[in-house]
Amino acid sequence: MEPAKKLSRRSLLKTSAVAAGAILAGGPAAAGPKPSGGAAIVIDCHAHLHHHGNAKYAEKDRQLIEAADKLGIHRLCCSILTPARPATADGFRACNRWLAEAAARFSDRVWGYCYVNPECGREAVDEIRRCVDERGFIGVKLYNERVCTDPVVAPVVETAIELGVPILHHAGHAHYPLPGQPNISDGGHLAELGRRYPEARLICAHVGGGGDWEWTIKALRHASNVYLDTSGSVTDEGMIEMAAEILGVDRLLFGCDMSMTAGVGKIRAARLDAESKRNILGGNMNRLLATRNKS
Amino acid sequence: MIFDVNAYLGHFAFRQLRHNTPEGLLRLMDSKGIERAAVSSASAITYRNCQSGNEELFAAVKPHRDRLIPLAVINPFYAGWRDDLEICHQQFGMQGLRLYPKWHNYALADPCAEELISAAVERNLPVSIPFRVEDYRQRSWLVDVPDIRPAEVVDLVKKHPKGRFLLLNAAGLSGTPLGRPGELPANYVIEISRASAVLGNEIGQLLAALGPDRLVFGSGMPFTYPDPALLKLEVLDAPEQVKEQVRRGNAAGLFGDPT
Repeated sequence: MEPAKKLSRRSLLKTSAVAAGAILAGGPAAAGPKPSGGAAIVIDCHAHLHHHGNAKYAEKDRQLIEAADKLGIHRLCCSILTPARPATADGFRACNRWLAEAAARFSDRVWGYCYVNPECGREAVDEIRRCVDERGFIGVKLYNERVCTDPVVAPVVETAIELGVPILHHAGHAHYPLPGQPNISDGGHLAELGRRYPEARLICAHVGGGGDWEWTIKALRHASNVYLDTSGSVTDEGMIEMAAEILGVDRLLFGCDMSMTAGVGKIRAARLDAESKRNILGGNMNRLLATRNKS
Repeated sequence: MIFDVNAYLGHFAFRQLRHNTPEGLLRLMDSKGIERAAVSSASAITYRNCQSGNEELFAAVKPHRDRLIPLAVINPFYAGWRDDLEICHQQFGMQGLRLYPKWHNYALADPCAEELISAAVERNLPVSIPFRVEDYRQRSWLVDVPDIRPAEVVDLVKKHPKGRFLLLNAAGLSGTPLGRPGELPANYVIEISRASAVLGNEIGQLLAALGPDRLVFGSGMPFTYPDPALLKLEVLDAPEQVKEQVRRGNAAGLFGDPT
């Protein structure tokens, strides 16, 4: 299999050196791999392709690209998760192999996160190195196998720091236990992890799909190396403005997590200036990815 | 023109709302090209005596009746609801109802709800039923209010074939009898704010199954941003005539259209 093309700082910055996107103007826009007509690059920092155990995975993956086209999204930062968790090493390796194939198939549209279960120790670390160094993946995806402050997660965090890639971490804070998620991390855990590892670049996943979003935003206030992903199906009015006010626009990353119109619509609706929206939609993610170390 | 069947004024006990005065909501509507909205009192969701919310709403929309259509929140499990309904309909001229069975501690199958629905049918008032107020994952530690289950509404629409129901804030109905053709009376419409227009494209599925006269536009504002729902209509793969029905025509049929 042809490994996915490695990203370079030059290629990243080249695609970002453009102006306002169709999302800002309102209404749908046809997107391809590159922004056109002076539009800003739009990067969905949280997307998923489908596990091949799903008989319709190819069709569903294609639908995601079509949706991105309709909504003016140029790049989708994707992971594939195992349907059953905790994931085994064989399980996450298969997911990442399929993702690399998809990144090649959807050339210039799909960027990969390497999904691992940190409980797998050395195998998880080796998989991250393989995916980032050989396959050109842009980061690490962690789910809810362990709370992110658990010492077992440390080797994964340290590897991501060494490679200069971000970790997108599933997160949520509810005032009742979330069914099936006893080890879910929340904004407070991610803030603590960021404090322990100031060099780490962490992304707290789906503020619009992780329970009490006001709690999450407040918990992250002082965690300057933790970014907040705006994805999720919840479109509560004021969410994006509060996040911008408390965290600063530079720490917000546009995402959908498969809630496509919710993801785009809340950024379009937010009462922020156009420059702020350009940064949220893609500029911030581009700069974050440009910190990657070259092997 | 866009007609939003799912809008609110007032306060919600568990989160600050913005744009929740008539002037604020109208400014938001103007900025989004929304001409008319069916509104109810958000405060009435958590007031024990929800008639106070209806009174506040009546006063608030009085100068704006051409654009804001008031709906009464009635709790049939609370003393005096028949009087409240009479006042809201006859004195306040409210043009429909919004019911919160989970928040107000009754079931749609309870005799009191049956009586209320029958009274609404008699008065020719459409009845809207929000399946949820907010996402269950963010509910306060003080309350544990579940979403309405589609099966509860299936029974309701069957029992009241002459009723006119609006199902708000619902998702996943395409996999239930409510989203399948011919299984139930055509006495309900589905508001689109939580249905997808891409990927699974539930809106497209519902249009195909139920027909273009059974979906209506709603945003949930000011609880939620209006743009996600607007965007669904924009990207929906459907003829413009169908979109226009969803955008305005079907709602105007329910509430009347001054144009």
